Amino acid sequence: RGKMEEGKAYSLNGVFAHLEMLEARAHEAAVKQEETEQQEEKVARLKARVQELRLQRDELRAKVELQEKGQLGKRGVTSDPAQPSAQAVLEWKIKSIKATLQVFYLTGISGKLTKRGVCFCISTAYEGTYLDSYCLDLLIKPEVRIHRHSVPVFIPLEQIAKKYLQTDIRRFLSVLSDHLNAYAGRRYQADQLQEHFSDQIEGTLQRNSLCNLLVFNYNVSSKSKTFPFKVRLLYGDLCCSLPTEVVVSCPPDPPASLAETAAAHSDLFRRTALHKAFRSFSSADES
Amino acid sequence: MDETVAEYIRRTVLKIPRDEIKTMLQKWGFLSEAQLQTINFHQLKDNISQDVVQLCEENSADIKQAAVLDIIYNYIYPNKRVWSVYQMNKTGEETDFFDLTDFKKKIKRRLRSALKNVTVTFREYEDNAVWIRIAWGTPYTKPNQYKTSYVVYHSQTPYVFISASVLKSNLPLLCQALVVASNYHDIREMELRSHSLNSLKDIVFKRYSQNFQTYYPKPLQERDIAPETDLRIIQENKNEKERIERVNREIFGDGPQPKLEFAQYKLETMFKSDPKMDVLDKKEPFRCLVKFSSPHLLESLKSLAPAGMADAPLSPLLTCIPQKARNYFKIREKKGLFPGSFVSP
Repeated sequence: RGKMEEGKAYSLNGVFAHLEMLEARAHEAAVKQEETEQQEEKVARLKARVQELRLQRDELRAKVELQEKGQLGKRGVTSDPAQPSAQAVLEWKIKSIKATLQVFYLTGISGKLTKRGVCFCISTAYEGTYLDSYCLDLLIKPEVRIHRHSVPVFIPLEQIAKKYLQTDIRRFLSVLSDHLNAYAGRRYQADQLQEHFSDQIEGTLQRNSLCNLLVFNYNVSSKSKTFPFKVRLLYGDLCCSLPTEVVVSCPPDPPASLAETAAAHSDLFRRTALHKAFRSFSSADES
Repeated sequence: MDETVAEYIRRTVLKIPRDEIKTMLQKWGFLSEAQLQTINFHQLKDNISQDVVQLCEENSADIKQAAVLDIIYNYIYPNKRVWSVYQMNKTGEETDFFDLTDFKKKIKRRLRSALKNVTVTFREYEDNAVWIRIAWGTPYTKPNQYKTSYVVYHSQTPYVFISASVLKSNLPLLCQALVVASNYHDIREMELRSHSLNSLKDIVFKRYSQNFQTYYPKPLQERDIAPETDLRIIQENKNEKERIERVNREIFGDGPQPKLEFAQYKLETMFKSDPKMDVLDKKEPFRCLVKFSSPHLLESLKSLAPAGMADAPLSPLLTCIPQKARNYFKIREKKGLFPGSFVSP
């Protein structure tokens, strides 16, 4: 009888070991996928940068050629300005701005020259879905300042402008775009959750304007019994659409497997989009 | 059930237009669907309200539930009250994680610690707006449910919309509670008032149409060009008409204007007259108040130039209203080279 018990214990260990191995594999696969995604993003960014630099190089080449022509001409012609004419400078400036605008368009930021400055339009998107656009009307004289805009009032626009607008317009636009895209992404996830998974959510989804704190209860079914889980998602980084802090709590005195599920969910919410996480729950239930 | 509660519910139901009573009671959710079926909504409103009170009696309604019904009524008909806009400031740069439960707790705590007799009710809506209803009492009297203040606050924004009751003395306490609960440092009243809560929101949240020139593709709106009905009629001033249309569109944008009922200009400028006439002995500013009233002020301003009643572009004092987010102005003499006027900040 003792031997039988031993045998049972041994097979249980084997099952747990197997499960552990599967979990580890799944985790590895997820980490790898995240790495490849990050890699792809990095490549795309570098490609845009290469384009940018190529354009700059072309402009500088053109400028150098212009200078050289001026120099060559000097030997033959008596009167030739050492500096390019005002007209040429203006043309070069316009060409350079057009090139910059072309590059910005690739990154979801487009701009158009206006009578008194520039008008920028930042488009947001999340995982292939286009979301809202926000515009900024900038004046450039006597100093760069925002004339009017359509950025939501809860985005810290003044803070970002104070830091970067005067010194580095590109950085200003880049940081603002990060804020807006991340906000759009967080809002999209919360909206998707409410739209498609409302049957799994108990009560209301507590959210706020920036969508940087979500608190709600959802049902987890295990062995044909449903347990209420409470989750609190805190998005500490306003430029990020994934939470920095996740607390998943299950009802008191939970069975052991439930505690593991809570930990697994907590991990999943930290790494995946909210609605995708819930989609994986539904498919896991079915399997 | 308390008699005062019953009376309050009865009067609230009487305010609701007859066709809306059933829907509002359903939104309230205090009476079951079965109970609502027993009410005849085609009878006189007096009788409907009596039936509702009867059912509330059966369910033992208290003032808390009655307050929720009042919030729902005011949410659907906010334009019956006058709303002021308050702006809050904070100096820190930390990100705010607005926790609704925390916010509600702080407000309640602040108000209740200062005034024992106060009814505070909250209701949240889909657009991240929190509605707060406050019925004020005194240390010796119960809260007066008919003299209520309403606050509408969108999380993580610096603007609060307040419809204060007649009792203005409680305003500082309310402002303080709001500042503390929303993690700001101070609060001041803006010079912006209207009956239309949504228009006030449109102005401060910049939700009204602003014409931005961008390359972003916008769907082209077919402008209805009235066809020339009679070829014998020649528009002599066609160019001027088109110029006016263009300038108007640039200033006001294409979409609907926020709805304001008035704009008030307090003038403290010098009266300019022929020195020989010497109307005023002392050189004092001639104080006068100019008030523009309209059911829809900005739309009427927009139509002034096309109607030929004013030159285009209109005075920036009139057209700056949505952008400056104010409809109360003080105009003083500009001290300097140019005798003119300047608008105080």
